[in-house]
Amino acid sequence: MNELSASSRITYRAVMVRPGVARRIRGLSDRTLAWLFITPTIVLLLAINIFPLLWTIYLSFTNYRANRANVPTIWLGADWYQSILTDPDIWAAMQVTAHFVIWTVVIETVLGFGLAYLIDKKFRGHGMWTTIILLPMMLSPAVVGNFWTFLYQPQIGLFNYVVAFFTGRAASSFQMLGDVTLSPWAIVIVDAWMWTPYVMLICLAGLRSIPDYIYEAAEVDRASKWRQFWSITLPMALPFIMLAVLFRGIENFKMFDMVNLLTGGGPGSTTEVASITLKRAAFESWRTGYSSAFAIILFVTVFGLANIYVKALNKVKSR
Amino acid sequence: MAEVEIKAVSKAFGKTQALSDLSLTIGDGEFVALLGPTGAGKTTALRLIAGLEQPDSGSIRIDGRDVTGDAPADRDVAFVFQQYSLYPHLTVFENMAFALRAPTRRMPEADIRAKVQEVARLLHIETKLDNKATQLSGGQMQRVAIGRALVRSPSIYLMDEPLSSLDAKLRGELRLELKRIQVDLGATILYVTHDQTEAMTMASRIGVIEGGRLMQIGTPREIYENPINAHVAARLGQPTINLLPAALFAGAPVGVETIGARTEHLTIARGGGDISATVKRVEHLGDQSHLHLDLAGRPVVTLADPEAGFGAGDVVSLRLNRPLFFDAKGWRVAA
Repeated sequence: MNELSASSRITYRAVMVRPGVARRIRGLSDRTLAWLFITPTIVLLLAINIFPLLWTIYLSFTNYRANRANVPTIWLGADWYQSILTDPDIWAAMQVTAHFVIWTVVIETVLGFGLAYLIDKKFRGHGMWTTIILLPMMLSPAVVGNFWTFLYQPQIGLFNYVVAFFTGRAASSFQMLGDVTLSPWAIVIVDAWMWTPYVMLICLAGLRSIPDYIYEAAEVDRASKWRQFWSITLPMALPFIMLAVLFRGIENFKMFDMVNLLTGGGPGSTTEVASITLKRAAFESWRTGYSSAFAIILFVTVFGLANIYVKALNKVKSR
Repeated sequence: MAEVEIKAVSKAFGKTQALSDLSLTIGDGEFVALLGPTGAGKTTALRLIAGLEQPDSGSIRIDGRDVTGDAPADRDVAFVFQQYSLYPHLTVFENMAFALRAPTRRMPEADIRAKVQEVARLLHIETKLDNKATQLSGGQMQRVAIGRALVRSPSIYLMDEPLSSLDAKLRGELRLELKRIQVDLGATILYVTHDQTEAMTMASRIGVIEGGRLMQIGTPREIYENPINAHVAARLGQPTINLLPAALFAGAPVGVETIGARTEHLTIARGGGDISATVKRVEHLGDQSHLHLDLAGRPVVTLADPEAGFGAGDVVSLRLNRPLFFDAKGWRVAA
């Protein structure tokens, strides 16, 4: 008891001394000092995040075009929003995006978790395999887009060759990037190839966080491996899996670089995900006001979905 | 409940010999405590019996059946882990029912419910059954962990320092409860601990283990009164036994190098004893005092009546009263 109060007295004194010293040396209060430290960050945040966002919102209500800055800006109200939300082309782009997001997330989660589960078994050489599996993730999307264009090449592409080898069909009989039905899957395959390792890494962290003694307790409690998986492994790794899904979902909703390099949205508009439509409107047609409105719609959609999802995630975590 | 027989079991982890030639029989309904310092091999012994580790040599029999190569699930043992080892995403009820839901048991849901509630009442956690395991205090978690073992009726309960992470008061309470439950159920328990009080108060027999070897096994009284060597003697008794060179005292038997003197072997007087010592410090514990003495440059700790009124600097006289004798290697020498 004595020891406790003595030690708490020491801490109390140590805390009380600091502001006094600061005041004597610099004439600054703690509050001033705190503001001094965070001001650069706040200014930076305002300049490169908050201001552009507010400016975009403003532009989305006008006829502004970035390539004709001298044309007088007219306030249009919610016109752009109305025309975007009733435009069938936009809805087509949204469908393409949804197809891309859903399939990549499903494939990456299933494969990623499966790989993590295998790697977690700590077989011989699992460290080397982890590194090898992680390689695609470390490449730049531009590089990946470019060399998958080669892999998908009907005459000389390795992908076509391998498919031909296993199915017996002629390698040049199908074009992954040029076919209306195949190209949406071509971009899903590339994204899954590149980002499954990322999901695996997060799932692996989740699996490693489950202590061995829980499995030992289950072992003594006569739980089969199957039951251990469903009642321990999966529920305890679930928050991690959900986190990976969230990251991949948001990331792929705004996918641009890789798809742009692989297909540029084609053939036709079969792989034209929302961000490509947006880029075309903004930097090819220079419809700045219109594309601002579209960007805001996308932003609100992702933000809303992510929020609902995070609520669900927190619920799972607090279970 | 059944008899568990361990025969000449050894286990090494890499170059570390965790257990050497352990032989131990735990009788039906017996409460055996393995007492020893950290790293002595106590937990390894438990894990070997549970089947969580495989012995390098030797055999383990439960109820007459050789289970040495069997998986944990086939051994019919219950294990209480030091770290509780509860399933954090399940409720207290589900945690306790987990083992009963094993498909091989085919236990009806109503029976599971009845059994869990019965054990929960026994452990005073019946109001917590719907709570998440993680919402409990340390003491409650440990009760659930014990409860999870108690819902089953295994051949043997293996308990790995189940009370070590609790505070002193709770530890005292649970110690009593555990002993009461063991007597009520007639349970066979092998209990691992480094706390001599737990071993002394609960066990019907104590095995003192050190450096992977079982040094001595016997009733708490036997171990305390007749330790076979200085190690075992130092394990039990508070304050710890004073080991002093025999040369300091006249009249020790031949071959005795060390004299072991516990509080009850030392009579303190103002004068007229065998040897004199200086009081360095007095610790008042309330009903008694710890007396720290300096005996020819060696520290000696003993208990004294607070009424005796010793103070630092006093010179007192000590008389040995049937102490324990040890030879040069620390083995006991008969008086």
